[in-house]
Amino acid sequence: MGIDIGKFLKNPEFEILITTYRDIFQVEALERDRFGEDYKKLSAVITMSKNDMQKMGFKSGDRVKLSNNYGSVVVEVKESKKNEPGGLAFMINSPWSNILISGETDGKGIPEFKHITAKISLSKEEITPVTEITFHK
Amino acid sequence: MFTCTGCALLCDDIEAIVENNRIKETRNTCRRGSARMKGAMFRLVPSIDQKPADFESSIKKAAEILRNSTSPMLFGLDNSTCEAQVKGIQLAKKINAIMDDTSSFCQGLLIEKILQKKLRTCSLDDIRNKADVLVYWGSDAQDSQPRHLSRFSYFPRGESRQRGYEEDRLAIAIDVRESNTAKICKGHFYRIPLKGDREFILALMEALSGKAPAYDTKNMLGLASILKKAEFGAIFVGIGLTYSIKNDFEILTELADMLPKFNIMPMVGHYNMRGFNEALFKETGFVNRVKFEGKAVHENKYAIIEALKNKSIDALVVVGSDPVLSLPRSVIAHLPSIPVVCIDPCQTFTSKIAAVNIPCAASGVESAGSAVRMDGKVIGLKKIIENNYLTDEDILKRLMEAV
Ligand code: SF4
Repeated sequence: MGIDIGKFLKNPEFEILITTYRDIFQVEALERDRFGEDYKKLSAVITMSKNDMQKMGFKSGDRVKLSNNYGSVVVEVKESKKNEPGGLAFMINSPWSNILISGETDGKGIPEFKHITAKISLSKEEITPVTEITFHK
Repeated sequence: MFTCTGCALLCDDIEAIVENNRIKETRNTCRRGSARMKGAMFRLVPSIDQKPADFESSIKKAAEILRNSTSPMLFGLDNSTCEAQVKGIQLAKKINAIMDDTSSFCQGLLIEKILQKKLRTCSLDDIRNKADVLVYWGSDAQDSQPRHLSRFSYFPRGESRQRGYEEDRLAIAIDVRESNTAKICKGHFYRIPLKGDREFILALMEALSGKAPAYDTKNMLGLASILKKAEFGAIFVGIGLTYSIKNDFEILTELADMLPKFNIMPMVGHYNMRGFNEALFKETGFVNRVKFEGKAVHENKYAIIEALKNKSIDALVVVGSDPVLSLPRSVIAHLPSIPVVCIDPCQTFTSKIAAVNIPCAASGVESAGSAVRMDGKVIGLKKIIENNYLTDEDILKRLMEAV
């Protein structure tokens, strides 16, 4: 039986800067059913510029793992439909982005919701279920 | 006509078609408002320790938790009527609780500056009637307050703006991404780097004072000249800008001083967040982060984020809010270890870990009251559906009697 070398090779990791935003379709899904598939599908996504995707070797629909000192999460990657210059990726504000937000506030009470740095790499894992982020069973 | 509670625009031109005592269809709402008015799929049911309980026992248990707590916090009320907010403040006073709301990590500081009259502001109706230059700054109204441009700012006709967006109005977007609002501001979208707002403001101020700024000189001079020519301008400040300049609102005040024809409008999400800020401000002189102990004390350590991080509260009452959904995971880690009482019309991530759940009526659909629009105007909410749910105001009153 041959050894599956691929198992031991780590997918390349890249540094990434992420900001968060709001999306009307996701908010609509939140109002209707925050536990449902629609909300998860619209939330557990990172959008990147075409350039950055090419550089990192991602295709729309790939799953990626994002991790930093505060946590890690698996989401789907999508290419931005807009003409983004690159260097900045986007996540809709949700429990999936909140896992990567620093709790450091200098005592001022406002976390950096719109400024995330993380490592990103291709992943075979499933999209992180919301129950893992929010403690509920 | 009914009022939508989907966001702080509180659109009061809504029609609702009711069938079998549920809202089947709405007219004039945006997608967000329509989903909001039709209501969430899963209603909250009374429970204790995640097991169904009757309503009275839930109230009793919640009161017991508060009686046994030495450092309780009351959080939320941004999705509650002004009447419920007043009750909430009374309860917090009675039990010497810490009180905070979403504005603590959202637009609170900005609203405080407005209530302290440190920033010039105006009504949305003034904007509809008079405004010719509209600046959406770190704000994607199209996705967050979706009828903002169509009801009040860019598209409508107004008393002195008969030709609306075609001729009489100009919209500008300043943002880190090409938002759906930025797309509408064709030719007037200024993309800035993440956290670049401060530098942008400084450069703009240079341009306004006639100097040539080193930063993006041509665009800056062009923008300054548009702003200078405005007859009645509005800057819509979104959380993009608020987060970026952090506590440094002085810089926004300085910019506003250089633009005497402009008014600042805080872009508020939750339908009655401004109402909460105004009510607490009236009572204590502060908009959030208050501890009642005979008198009201305001400190940053009373912000929900700090209180959870420092594990300084031992019970939490949440009204109409979902901190487990909206706060960083690293901050909510303390929550499952303290008793949480959740008062909400629907199930939330917070209700799933709460020690006690108490369902209430959905305001603006199942109960009436009033709320404060993002510009400070008080708007009435009507009842559309009859049912037996108590309002959050009634529940807070019951809790007050029981503690
Ligand atoms: S803009 Fe806001 S208040 Fe108006 S319909 Fe949409 S969600 Fe409701």
